[in-house]
Amino acid sequence: MEEQNNLTAERSLEIIRESIESSQHAITKNSSWVLIWWGLCVVAFSLLIAYLWDNHGGPAWNALWAVMWGTGYLGEWIISKHKKPVPTNFVSKTIGHVWATFGIFMCLFGLILGLIGGGIIPIKLLVPEAHYYLNITSIISLCFGIASTITGFIIKNRIVQICGLIAGLGGFFCALQYPWVEQLYVMAVVAIVGMIIPGIIIYYQNKE
Amino acid sequence: MFEPLDPLLHSELRLAIMSLLVSAEEAEFPYIKEQTGATAGNLSVQIDKLSAAGYLEVEKTFKGKRPCTICRITPEGLKAFEDYVKALKSYLQVK
Repeated sequence: MEEQNNLTAERSLEIIRESIESSQHAITKNSSWVLIWWGLCVVAFSLLIAYLWDNHGGPAWNALWAVMWGTGYLGEWIISKHKKPVPTNFVSKTIGHVWATFGIFMCLFGLILGLIGGGIIPIKLLVPEAHYYLNITSIISLCFGIASTITGFIIKNRIVQICGLIAGLGGFFCALQYPWVEQLYVMAVVAIVGMIIPGIIIYYQNKE
Repeated sequence: MFEPLDPLLHSELRLAIMSLLVSAEEAEFPYIKEQTGATAGNLSVQIDKLSAAGYLEVEKTFKGKRPCTICRITPEGLKAFEDYVKALKSYLQVK
């Protein structure tokens, strides 16, 4: 693009439109790999914990979720180091904030349940007796679905909205139906439908 | 009556730079270069012109050991861009 001062009004508007659109696509596309990466982490850890739970000792292996957060953030940092710098805009920031909120809530929720499970926090202090059995996968699936659906509305993509609904509601009820080790397979499917597929869709929707 | 167009913005490359920065909070030099397809030398000259007019804020920093130039639009730049688009509309008779 060289210096060109004899622009028509139409050409000026075309340049503005092209530049804004191209920048929007590049920025939104950049937020897709984070979804795909974290989705893959959830799938890998769900399957790993399911295997260990089933074959080597029981639900105590759920403590490995803490390792997933560390692995996820480390991987995200390494990938971002090797990627071309892309600025942020309102869309990418909002998507990031939605998923960060989801992550913070789930991390704290898991931590509190872990402390209850470990006997550090007395269960009676937080949970009434009628709700002693809490299905964490159901709750996480529902939140997953909400975050995915919001992402779908932000990027105006009907398929991502539907993926969010399926992941959220499907995961919620499936995890209630399969409360033992099988709930981890439900979690893996929820991550595929709620994160990996939307991530791939965002990538291809914004591919030049 | 046609409104006058800001001569500083009425250039293909400078207009593209401003349009890119309007939709992003800030952008690094390589990103603007890739998006506009301009040469580094030409881009640098045009960024300097926009910066001298107060339309852009240019921050020269380091990313690790590598120099990094970050550009962001100023409130004056945003106002100039809005006025430019408004003026364009008068040429196109858009209400």
